[in-house]
Amino acid sequence: MFFPREMTELELIVPSKDLMAVVKVLSGHSVFHQVDSAHLGVENLGPSGWQDRAGAYSAMERRVQTLVQNLGLPEEYPAKADAESIADLDVVRQSLDRIEDEVKGTSDQLSADKKRLELLESQLRQLEPISEVNVEVSALRQSAYMHSILGVIPAANIGRLQTSLSRVLHVFFTLRDDPQKPVVWLLGPKSNSDILERAAKSAYLNPLALPDEFSGTPEQITVLLKQEIEATKKRISDLESSLAKMASAHKTELQQLLWDTHISRIMADAIVRFGQLRHTYVVVGWVPTAHLVELTEKLKNASNEILIESIPTTRSGHASHIPVALFNNKWLKPIQMLVGTYGHPSYSELDPTLLMAFTFPLLYGAMFGDLGQGLVMALAGFLMHKRIFMKGMQSLGLLLVYCGLSAALFGFLYGSIFGFEGHLVEEYLHFHFEPTWMSPLHNILGILSIAIDAGIVILTIGFLLGMFNSLRSRDWAHLLFGHSGVAAFLFYLCFLALLGGFLGDTAIAPKVAVAIGNLPLPFTTLAGVFALFVMFGGFFRNMVEGHTLIEGKGIGGFMMFLVTSFMDLFESVISMLSNTLSFVRVGAFAVAHGGLSLAIFSLAGEEPNIGFWITILLGNIFIIGFEGLIVGIQTMRLHYYEILGKFFHGGGLQFEPLKLNPSREEA
Amino acid sequence: MAGGVSGYAAISTRVRAMYSYLFTPQDMIRLSDSPDFMSLVGALKTSPYGKYLTGLKDNELTPRRVILQIKNRLADSYSSVVQQSPEQTRPLIKQMFRYYEVGNLKAVLRSIQTVAPWNSEIAAWDRVREVLFPLGSTASIPAQAMVESGSVASAVDLLHGTPYEATMSFAMKRFSAEQNLFPLEVALDLDYWRRLWSEAKKLSGKDREMGVKIIGSLLDMNNLMWVIRYKIYHKLSEEELINYTLPFGFRVKDEDVRAIAAGSDIAATVSRVYPGIPDVNALLEHPQSGLPKLEQQLKRQVMRQCVAAFIGDPFHIGIPLAYLILSDFEIQDLTVLIEAKSSGVSEEEYRGLLLKTKMIQ
Repeated sequence: MFFPREMTELELIVPSKDLMAVVKVLSGHSVFHQVDSAHLGVENLGPSGWQDRAGAYSAMERRVQTLVQNLGLPEEYPAKADAESIADLDVVRQSLDRIEDEVKGTSDQLSADKKRLELLESQLRQLEPISEVNVEVSALRQSAYMHSILGVIPAANIGRLQTSLSRVLHVFFTLRDDPQKPVVWLLGPKSNSDILERAAKSAYLNPLALPDEFSGTPEQITVLLKQEIEATKKRISDLESSLAKMASAHKTELQQLLWDTHISRIMADAIVRFGQLRHTYVVVGWVPTAHLVELTEKLKNASNEILIESIPTTRSGHASHIPVALFNNKWLKPIQMLVGTYGHPSYSELDPTLLMAFTFPLLYGAMFGDLGQGLVMALAGFLMHKRIFMKGMQSLGLLLVYCGLSAALFGFLYGSIFGFEGHLVEEYLHFHFEPTWMSPLHNILGILSIAIDAGIVILTIGFLLGMFNSLRSRDWAHLLFGHSGVAAFLFYLCFLALLGGFLGDTAIAPKVAVAIGNLPLPFTTLAGVFALFVMFGGFFRNMVEGHTLIEGKGIGGFMMFLVTSFMDLFESVISMLSNTLSFVRVGAFAVAHGGLSLAIFSLAGEEPNIGFWITILLGNIFIIGFEGLIVGIQTMRLHYYEILGKFFHGGGLQFEPLKLNPSREEA
Repeated sequence: MAGGVSGYAAISTRVRAMYSYLFTPQDMIRLSDSPDFMSLVGALKTSPYGKYLTGLKDNELTPRRVILQIKNRLADSYSSVVQQSPEQTRPLIKQMFRYYEVGNLKAVLRSIQTVAPWNSEIAAWDRVREVLFPLGSTASIPAQAMVESGSVASAVDLLHGTPYEATMSFAMKRFSAEQNLFPLEVALDLDYWRRLWSEAKKLSGKDREMGVKIIGSLLDMNNLMWVIRYKIYHKLSEEELINYTLPFGFRVKDEDVRAIAAGSDIAATVSRVYPGIPDVNALLEHPQSGLPKLEQQLKRQVMRQCVAAFIGDPFHIGIPLAYLILSDFEIQDLTVLIEAKSSGVSEEEYRGLLLKTKMIQ
């Protein structure tokens, strides 16, 4: 649970005759992460043909998908789909050709009619500006003696256009006087058509595209266009019904074809990445150790002559090439999603999902402590998880349940229910409800101090986990002198002791820091010593790893080294202070939550009438939605910036097993 | 109304102070005497342009970068003038400043249109940005996104909601048909000057008189150069020439433009409107070299108009407008000097291109 699943490297030598059976086993169980081993094959064997076949299956799959889309069918596989063998290309092609021939005519007609509908609607829009003009459009177009230009022009250009034609015989009408796009009509003798065209063009007069096939005035054409649009819509509807009938008739066959081409493409793609020898294939990949025995047995059943070599792995040292499979616990899925947003764990490091599953709801609840609102949130989350409410947010449902329950628990501790606290509970809800721990609103400095203490504990855990990770991967340099290594941790403790001493017995002083400060140790001296280790951390790391101690030569290089070392120390001190104080927000939000509730009450008034209860209801909805979201963002921020950075690097290679039907598995 | 003495007391004083920092002809001669590009930059560093150049490292001291930096002074001048000028005159100054954005827009479109497919990486934003005027937060066009959009049509789509949207929507029809930026650029120019003229006409009293005089002088120069260039180089027809020019100005009347468009003698028209410009005939005999010289002469006429604005009644918009135009001309002179010094052009070759000479004080 704390580390990604243990992996074993698998190397197989597969006889050519058993190829398909082995591929079927490897791709049918979703446990084998394939590594490209084509380079292990013998190059001079010539093309194996699998590359071409993979391409052909892929093209075939796309054709089926297009057909399925044209028929308006969902992309689904048959209910009882099994990967028996790779499909015969010719058989698939024949079936596809037959269905395509049948569908093509109707489908082409449908798309042609849809295009025509678009054209007609566009022509209707073009006619709209001149719909009230009583002019015979076709007569203008077919005129033997007149050249006519009907179009829109920038209003500012009208005067200039008329000036430019002052020495040319013409008639100019403004058909629609629009300040932005006036519609104008320019007429002149046919013999002057080139002059008129030039003038119109240079005045940016854009002619309207009038339909050629209709005649009459714009009003008459508009009527005809509308009739034609209706007729086209009717034809489209008829064609769609025909396609629906065809879809119903071919649905099963198409689903089978989609499945056959899909699995054939997956298997052919996998084979392309095998190393091909004269009579055998080399297959390399990774399998979770827990599935090794089962997979090995199935492979041996599929091929008597298969050679299998399994190579165990260790989590120490360089392991970036090992794919990382996390434990699939459905209750932890939303937390895993949050971790995944930050980074995918690498093989050798701790998976922070479990820690975050504890700290995320804890911090969220502490900031949003309210028994009633927490339970409402948990209920909403449950409904989302069950896809009864806000189906698209299903993945967040469980997270809301956890956070809501935690908020309810803290609401119990804070004595807050739907914003009612103390005497308000008795006055309006008529029962007694006291804080079982403390009311943040009445103990502001206390809650802030506790929040910092909690932060110190969480950061300490972060430091310890960081050191644990370094220890596991035998990264001694970072274990001792890394940013979350031993030296940095001890410096942090000294820093806390000095901070505790500085704040002394003030109300906000974090008790953990004060307790550390009370230990009989010379923290000032120790802080100085560990500060030197932090400051020259890079130097010491280079020393342990055997690298050049100081980069850059001469006095310039040394001075630069001193400056960067000092900046390292400065940055460490600033980040320790900010990381620690960052947790103040946990207490501050707990106080703000009470404050926001008070604001709602002052809006609601004192009389418990209908208006009062409506205001309280709306206020609670607002708090759950608005503050709930802000607290969520703050909790995420605390984890991403302050906690995970201490021990979690991410960057792991995701485990992507061969799957015949990913969508089904994911569902 | 905040015009008159109360409206212009502060800005008039400030602009006069800024005016005193413009280079004199003697200063220009001293700069021109710099032996090379680096010496010129050294001299500029000790001038009012110094604060715009001191931040540059040695490897950044390229001619293009230096020109970009000194343009920042003009942008600052505009910002200062806009803030201090009376409320009713601000739209005019803001529209005047838009000239540089129109220039940027043209540069962006040219960069997209002229890039060869094999050269697409070099023509990316990094190459274009150094030739754009530094508008800072006042820019309304998403220049980088336009350059990266890869096509003129996509770039123009990004102008949605900007002052150029309507103009470009009309002009794009022609661009789609002709695949030539000419109609887009002409449409942008006409729209810019129409708006500027309209803002000047909205003013009243002395502001309107001076605004029309100064903006009209600039328009005269542009209108005249457009009609001459379109006629000589593009061989456009009379109707096109009229449609591609504007019917207003200060000294150049619409009749003059229409006369040239209709085929009248260009030199006679120019000499009639600007009797002070010598040898117009000779300039037009060899348009390739003559037209730039004619443009220089017209710019000098504008400069005279601007210098004259500082004489007499100081409480009007003419003084800030004149200062901004003179600042722009100074940047043009410095650009000539920087490019000449960086490419080793001799003084005889570039002297004629400088606007600020002893004849204009």
